[in-house]
Amino acid sequence: SFYRPHFTGCRSREQETFRCWWSAGIFQNLTEPGALRVFYQTKNFLSEWQECPDYTRTVKNECYFNKTFTQIWTSYCIQLRSVRENITYDEACFTVENIVHPDPPIGLNWTLLNVSRSGLHFDVLVRWAPPPSADVQMGWMSLVYQVQYRVRNNSHWEMLDLESGTQQSIYGLHTDKEYEVRVRCKMSAFDNFGEFSDSIIVHVAQIPSKESTFPTTLVLIFGVIGVVILLVLLIFSQQQRLMVIFLPPIPAPKIKGIDPELLKNGKLDQLNSLLSSQDMYKPDFYHEDPWVEFIQLDLDDPAEKNESSDTQHLLGVSRSGSSHVLNFKSDDDSGRASCYDPEIPNPEDLASLLPGHSGRGDNHPLVSRSSSSIPDLGVQQTSEVEETPIQTQPAVPSWVNMDFYAQVSDFTPAGGVVLSPGQLNSCPEKKKEEENEKKIQFQLVSDGAYTSENTARQLSASVPPSPGPEQGYQTFPTQAVEGNLWNGEYLVSTSDSQTPYLLPEAPPAPILPPVSDYTVVQEVDAQHSLLLNPPSSQPAICPHSPNKHLPAMPTMPMGYLTPDLLGNLTP
Amino acid sequence: MNRLKVLQAWLWCVSLWPCWLSHAVPLDCKDETGSLTQCTSISQEKLLDRVIQHAELIYRVSEESCTLFEDMFIPYPLHALRNQGGNLCHTKPFPIPGSKSEIQQISDKWLLHSVLMLVQSWMEPLIYLQTTLSRYDDAPDALLNKTKWVSDKLLSLEQGVLVLIRKMLDEGILTSSSIFEHTLTPYNEQSPEVLESILRDYNLLICFKKDAHKMETFLKLLKCRQSNKLSCLSY
Repeated sequence: SFYRPHFTGCRSREQETFRCWWSAGIFQNLTEPGALRVFYQTKNFLSEWQECPDYTRTVKNECYFNKTFTQIWTSYCIQLRSVRENITYDEACFTVENIVHPDPPIGLNWTLLNVSRSGLHFDVLVRWAPPPSADVQMGWMSLVYQVQYRVRNNSHWEMLDLESGTQQSIYGLHTDKEYEVRVRCKMSAFDNFGEFSDSIIVHVAQIPSKESTFPTTLVLIFGVIGVVILLVLLIFSQQQRLMVIFLPPIPAPKIKGIDPELLKNGKLDQLNSLLSSQDMYKPDFYHEDPWVEFIQLDLDDPAEKNESSDTQHLLGVSRSGSSHVLNFKSDDDSGRASCYDPEIPNPEDLASLLPGHSGRGDNHPLVSRSSSSIPDLGVQQTSEVEETPIQTQPAVPSWVNMDFYAQVSDFTPAGGVVLSPGQLNSCPEKKKEEENEKKIQFQLVSDGAYTSENTARQLSASVPPSPGPEQGYQTFPTQAVEGNLWNGEYLVSTSDSQTPYLLPEAPPAPILPPVSDYTVVQEVDAQHSLLLNPPSSQPAICPHSPNKHLPAMPTMPMGYLTPDLLGNLTP
Repeated sequence: MNRLKVLQAWLWCVSLWPCWLSHAVPLDCKDETGSLTQCTSISQEKLLDRVIQHAELIYRVSEESCTLFEDMFIPYPLHALRNQGGNLCHTKPFPIPGSKSEIQQISDKWLLHSVLMLVQSWMEPLIYLQTTLSRYDDAPDALLNKTKWVSDKLLSLEQGVLVLIRKMLDEGILTSSSIFEHTLTPYNEQSPEVLESILRDYNLLICFKKDAHKMETFLKLLKCRQSNKLSCLSY
């Protein structure tokens, strides 16, 4: 507490003498001299308390220990006593070397070391001398120094590291600025710094050497501008090339041989021809539908070779001559590829394929190819669809409804397919010049190029009701027309038969009651499955539609028969 | 008469034995490869400079060790013990004066002998200090390293001082630290209390620092006298 009399501090300047000061506090009665006295004790030799050897006369409340009374490496204890009251107000212990605060160094000066090229910075060397009171020479005190500097009137001092010598360099000062430099010291291995020396001013005037810098900056600026102009010129002159280098064009999708414009404009027929000519379309078809392979068309007929394929006959494409969606391949592949129409044909196009549309009555969808030996139902031979024997009423309005397909009635030994004439809306009235004993009706369910089941049934159900049937035609229905589901096995089995496969009586009707023999294929979907349209209410569902012998067909979702389902439909 | 002469001659030889020893046994010097070679000679001035450098370094490191120990293990209110200057430092065989004037009156011989005595008195306590510091849980590595370093440097310092004594004083001294054996007894006692042992170690460090300062001061005074006798004398 500072209200009581207490020591305010003890200091030594040179480690040879020291002084102690005290304060009376608020005790006013003790301020008079002699009221408070200082006693000291050195622990080394003497254990009795001795009074302060010298109370300084000039300074109040100071006790001075001169050289004889100052010993280092010994601890002192001092006491502040009021003798009158016999009270010890304060006590302190210390060793002299721990209370040494050296005097400030003297003789601080500076010399210029160098100035930077730009004339903006300079370095100085600052020198000083140790305080005279400190006996450094003898080694009595080992001093270390600390230099501080700042820009004049700044509040923050820069401090440099402790230096044991008597000089120090200061680097990186700015010209045209005034600096203050000062130094202080302390005993090495001790903590007490002495007072700072007086500050000195360091200042170096800036040499006006602007001419040297001026041209350099100008040259730089002009150089940069020149380079920029060159670059711009270069870019503009080589614009195209640079565009190619930096922004390479993105390759557009390309199919070999196909003009991308074609794709855009949607000329499907040309596209179709191109696509069908692509190799890639071929192999798939063959593998997926094994039953397709069994379609063997008679290629022997030279005349046929000149003709278009069966499917074209079926659909009467070639007749119409109109460009159709369905573009078929030539004969050489037995019409296999032509079975596969990758494109979903436009319904209108399909309609146009119907013979009726073309205006030719001959474009009968029922194309039968037969060998010459087998009298067919008059479905034309080979080529001339004009001779479509199937008399259909030439002007069949609702062509769309039916008879897009022909029912394959028989197989020739040569492997040809005999198609039975298709029916019109109603029960087939086939004008059969050839009573076709063979009324093998195959229910073809295939893709668009072949007869559908419904139409096949219709064919088979050539019921007499049709007016004006010929005799031979009449016999048709009596003849058991059996619609066989056409699949590979079946075909094989019946290919041998020469005779029509007739069933005298109508076998029990298959499970599918009102399923017509033919169903118009609506479209081909992506999986090459046929989308058949449901059988319309056709009067052609002739009463005794000889569905009897139709092999049991599994219940199908109407209108949709996939090729793999065909495999299940075995007799 | 003959026996008397022979006896005298024999006594002479015996009395001169230390001289022969000091001359006959040169100091072993080890070069960089470690093999013993003849020592290269060095001037007395240079040797004294090196000895003083040793003493300065020892003093600085002792002060750093003291600070490290204080920061780590001594509670703040007890930091004032430092100022008390190690009251419990072990007493020396002969007193060393503390005032500058008295010190200045010490002869060179006594300066050197005092330094030698100080160095020798601290050899064993420093070894003790190393072992006791290593038992502390949190003793920083720097502290342990410094203590070890000081212990090694002290040996070199002793050798240097011995050479100086021989050269400057033309004396041959057989080193013996037997007189200092008793100084260790205060430190050999293991105190069960933790704080007490900590304070004891702290005191040891403070005392060592003080004695290192003494060594440095004496050696510097000696150097001053060597270079310029007049300015070093008391004024």
